[in-house]
Amino acid sequence: MADVFLNGVSKAFDDHQAVANLDLKIADGEFVVLLGPTGAGKTTTLRLVAGLEKPDSGSIEIGGHDATRLEPAERDVAFVFQQYSLYPHLSVYENLAFPLRSPARRMPDDQIRRRVEEVARMVRIHHKLDNRSTKLSGGEMQRVAIGRALVRKPAIYLMDEPLSSLDAKLRAELRLELKRIQAELGSTVLYVTHDQIEAMTMADRIGILADGLLVQIGSPRAIYMEPANLHVAARLGQPAINLIPVGLLPDAAVPTGTKTIGARTEHLTIEKSANGHGDGTIDWVEHLGDQNHLHLTVKDRKLITLTDTDTPFRKGDAVTVRYRAPLFFDGAGNRISG
Amino acid sequence: MSDMPSGKPLVTDTNSSILDRAATAAAHATPEPLAKKVRGLSDRMVAWIFIAPTILLLLAINIFPLIWAIQLSFTNYRANRPNADIKNIGLQNYSRILGDADTWIAMQATAHFVFWTIALQTLIGFTLAYLIDRKFRGHAFWTTVILVPMMLSPAVVGNFWRFLYQPQIGLFTYIISFFTGIPPTEIEMLSNVSLAPWSIIIVDTWMWTPYVMLICLAGLRSIPDYIYEAAEVDRASPWRQFWSITLPMALPFIMLAVLFRGIENFKMFDMVNLLTGGGPGSTTEVASITLKREAFEKWRTGYSSAFAIILFVAVFGLANIYVKVLNKVKNR
Repeated sequence: MADVFLNGVSKAFDDHQAVANLDLKIADGEFVVLLGPTGAGKTTTLRLVAGLEKPDSGSIEIGGHDATRLEPAERDVAFVFQQYSLYPHLSVYENLAFPLRSPARRMPDDQIRRRVEEVARMVRIHHKLDNRSTKLSGGEMQRVAIGRALVRKPAIYLMDEPLSSLDAKLRAELRLELKRIQAELGSTVLYVTHDQIEAMTMADRIGILADGLLVQIGSPRAIYMEPANLHVAARLGQPAINLIPVGLLPDAAVPTGTKTIGARTEHLTIEKSANGHGDGTIDWVEHLGDQNHLHLTVKDRKLITLTDTDTPFRKGDAVTVRYRAPLFFDGAGNRISG
Repeated sequence: MSDMPSGKPLVTDTNSSILDRAATAAAHATPEPLAKKVRGLSDRMVAWIFIAPTILLLLAINIFPLIWAIQLSFTNYRANRPNADIKNIGLQNYSRILGDADTWIAMQATAHFVFWTIALQTLIGFTLAYLIDRKFRGHAFWTTVILVPMMLSPAVVGNFWRFLYQPQIGLFTYIISFFTGIPPTEIEMLSNVSLAPWSIIIVDTWMWTPYVMLICLAGLRSIPDYIYEAAEVDRASPWRQFWSITLPMALPFIMLAVLFRGIENFKMFDMVNLLTGGGPGSTTEVASITLKREAFEKWRTGYSSAFAIILFVAVFGLANIYVKVLNKVKNR
């Protein structure tokens, strides 16, 4: 395990700037998640650290050594790909042992066996060690892929949406396991995803990427509570934050320069209006089981928020809507601390 | 993960239900309204009507001659004496063929030819595919250039290689003599007993290596890049990547190419006939040349029918065993 630094790293493919002047410091033992939409440069960042791509400018430091121009094999990194990148003609055991059998390591066979079995137990695949890797289910394949990264003790684990091709239940399960394993081993992880729940639950710090730029980096709580701009605010929160122009609702104390008010579900107080004349009306109540989404129209704007499962609201109800310490954004989309 | 096609065997056991299944499949493919308009005919009937012409043609030019040949193989029939009595002589033709030393010499010549063409074509073909797969500048152009021999007619190839092999004016002979210093008139590729078999192997390899390359290339292209990237991060050397990823994953394709070339060369006729006609002596007399001599020079129709059946059974049997192995490799 070691610190990893990216200093002003840029990478372009033809005329598309994938990563622009990226500075990122990942401390030893830290779990950093890069979050962003498709094409934001998340995967490219990961591949740059792995050495599968070489930066156009800037430098990459792994464990105190300049790794900018090193080949992937010389970097001491482990990579989990989005696809199950198993060696299809090998057994689970051989897949897990593959990185250890590198001639550079000269690890004796019994030591390999011990290590593989240990890791197989960790990712809960030890009962299938003799199976062909192609005869596994999706979840098992991805466990093997993760296990193959874990058998080594590299400076950093790089994971490219490792859970995205799994179904929701399995994803939730592996998410917890991955976090448990990381905490157990104290490993340094750079993890890429577009799933905000994965980011929020696993990360020590989240980095929000957009168009190759690192917009904001900080703890999940900081990213959620104090987003730097509209883009970051819109990335986190379920249902998504409501972006409301100033003046739509009776505003409380709005800082000067505010153009947009960001209201998450917890930033809105909704009550049935007493006299039938409210700020808006309920369009419908969406029952999701553990929670209800409340869709309402205020003038010509649609808002979505949460309500209790035993909600008193019905379709067509007139309601009053009030802010409760919302977020304020200026004309450029940057947040104004209120 | 596996992008490789799996499961389905290449050759299913042939039986009568294939036609039936084809008819059913065609029936399913027929759009509903169309089928309904043809009043009184079931979907299945309509499907049969559509495929009947093809089936009849197939029966007439493939199945009927085969059955007739089987029947003739038990007789002493001679096609140049159509009025002579046809006697049923049972298995005599078969026992004479299998007991004839010349048959086994022809089989040996065939085996020699098949073995060396496959070995050379697979080796060179795979190497070319491996190099072309690097996607260097102009690789598409070179692929096309390499494929040219395959697109020529065997008759054309046979004829111009005869010129290339010509001891006095042949370009091939000239080049060999240029590098070895042996006078060109002494390099008699087609009439020297020990060179003649190789002259045919060289031409066949020249012509069909591109085909093997194409199949191998398909195999190499089917290996996803991220497998190599994973191996690179796992610190596998290029050598190890080749042995533990490239070769095993391309193996089913290589084996397929070997199968195609094997069947094709087991019944090789045109090129040998054009280049040496089986000579000098009988050094290049592969099985199909023997067959032609028996059938159309000695006119022993019954005997040659039996010979053809034996060849057919041999190729079919070997190919079937091979396909079983191939499927096993593919499903590993």
